[in-house]
Amino acid sequence: MTRTADVAIVGGGVNGCSIAYRLAKAGKKVVLCEKGDFASGATGSCDQMVILQSKNPGIHLKLALDSAELFQTLAQELDYDIEYFKHGGMITIENEMEMNVMTDFVAKQKKIGLEVDIISREDAAKRQRGLGEHLLGCTYSPQDGHVNPFKLNMGFAQAAKKAGAELLIDAEVTDFKMAGGKVVGIKTAKGDVDAETVIISAGAWSPLLGQKLGLKLPIKPRRGQIIVSQPCAPYIVGDILSAQYIVAKYHPETLLNAKDRGIQLGVGLAISQTARGGILIGATREFVDYDVSNTREGIREILKNAARLMPGLKNLNIIRIMGGVRPYTPDGLPLVGYVKGMDGLFMAAGHEGDGIALSAITGKIVAGLICEGKAYTDVSALDPNRFELFAK
Amino acid sequence: MSACGAEDQVFVCRCEEITREEIAEAIADGATTVRGVKVRTEAGMGLCQGRGCRKIIQQMLSQAGVRPAAEVLPSTTRTPVRTAKIAEFINEEDD
Ligand SMILES: Cc1cc2nc3c(=O)[nH]c(=O)nc-3n(C[C@H](O)[C@H](O)[C@H](O)COP(=O)(O)OP(=O)(O)OC[C@H]3O[C@@H](n4cnc5c(N)ncnc54)[C@H](O)[C@@H]3O)c2cc1C
Repeated sequence: MTRTADVAIVGGGVNGCSIAYRLAKAGKKVVLCEKGDFASGATGSCDQMVILQSKNPGIHLKLALDSAELFQTLAQELDYDIEYFKHGGMITIENEMEMNVMTDFVAKQKKIGLEVDIISREDAAKRQRGLGEHLLGCTYSPQDGHVNPFKLNMGFAQAAKKAGAELLIDAEVTDFKMAGGKVVGIKTAKGDVDAETVIISAGAWSPLLGQKLGLKLPIKPRRGQIIVSQPCAPYIVGDILSAQYIVAKYHPETLLNAKDRGIQLGVGLAISQTARGGILIGATREFVDYDVSNTREGIREILKNAARLMPGLKNLNIIRIMGGVRPYTPDGLPLVGYVKGMDGLFMAAGHEGDGIALSAITGKIVAGLICEGKAYTDVSALDPNRFELFAK
Repeated sequence: MSACGAEDQVFVCRCEEITREEIAEAIADGATTVRGVKVRTEAGMGLCQGRGCRKIIQQMLSQAGVRPAAEVLPSTTRTPVRTAKIAEFINEEDD
């Protein structure tokens, strides 16, 4: 059976479903094809943070702020309880180098409109029990929050269906349909879909789809391992990251010669507690292709790091460990927009460690670009053509 | 709901308190795997990590005819197979 649509979407993660929802709501005929089931990629094995403080001051932070704005009313809009909570967040600071990086980071973030400050260890301890005695302080922002990624993914999917989109699961996209150098559809395990526009929104797997079109997408899978504790009474207030994460992400050069195994594995603290009481403790940042398994070393390094920053965690019981692949890009920004030189193809992938937080705004940007020819704000920084996309 | 019998109110996942009815709804919504049921209901995400409900959900999936019983995939299970204290992990050395 061949379906026809205005837009065919490849990938049913949080971003593909957010896009399907916005496009269907704008009146487009949408067919989304997902290889497995919803939330089976990164969205199914990640942390839950809609955290603003970790975003690079610039377009990255601006988009996260705009996305957070959408999250305030998203549950009502989707008519789905996505378990979004805004309890604020902190970034732990352990040494002078981190203090310098964070002082500069915070000053720049404030200029973009984020409410954020550096607070003393004493003030941080008033907000959160169990913090390490050696901390120099923390940053704090009341605007940080978190959301249940499964529910967010399902909420977008259900709302997309209600708005008229067709969402197919167990429908792996195996190839593209071409006509006169243009992409005119996709071939899937559940039949063909002919479409004016095809969106690749397959997270870390996007480059494998790009290969079929002769494209060399600069997206790479970057594994994150995380740990889940047994459900317990409310303990973690808001969301907690460590400045290690910011330093590793935006100043990787400072870690080049690091001998510590945890640093080599890209370990940075990320802690938050779910609505059901489980505490999520992450995460590594490793390039190991598509391997989503867990390693004892990775888990141990995450826990060592967490117990140093928050000794209060030591007596928690663990019930599960997980691994997922983030869609890494060289400049930390996703690829969102039409591909020049290949009509009919649109990219919306590469959100690395921020795809949950940015999902709401991604749908809005894509719908703007496709339905009105422009997004609500200047998104040229996300233009996929900033990279050399055609394999030589 | 008044329309469903007492059997539908039975907890399948006792840790997260998910009923037979909710599992059936997830299957009706398109779930074809134990993981698909988990994503839609959170069954299997609690303390016992699906040891109690996995089999029943597999059975319900095959009864619903979404896939032959032998092909109904369990959710991924990963270590630890029992709960373990964080301190135990930190102190262990490589094998
Ligand atoms: C450990 C970890 C912690 C994280 N923590 C956070 C956090 O706290 N906050 C945050 O904002 N982000 C976080 N992230 C990042 C976030 O998970 C991702 O950025 C986001 O989930 C990406 O969503 P996506 O829809 O783009 O991709 P995915 O969720 O990966 O979805 C892609 C989908 O495409 C499908 N697919 C692949 N190939 C095909 C094909 N050929 N045909 C059809 N379908 C296909 C896959 O099955 C998959 O379902 C974390 C990630 C990890 C791994």
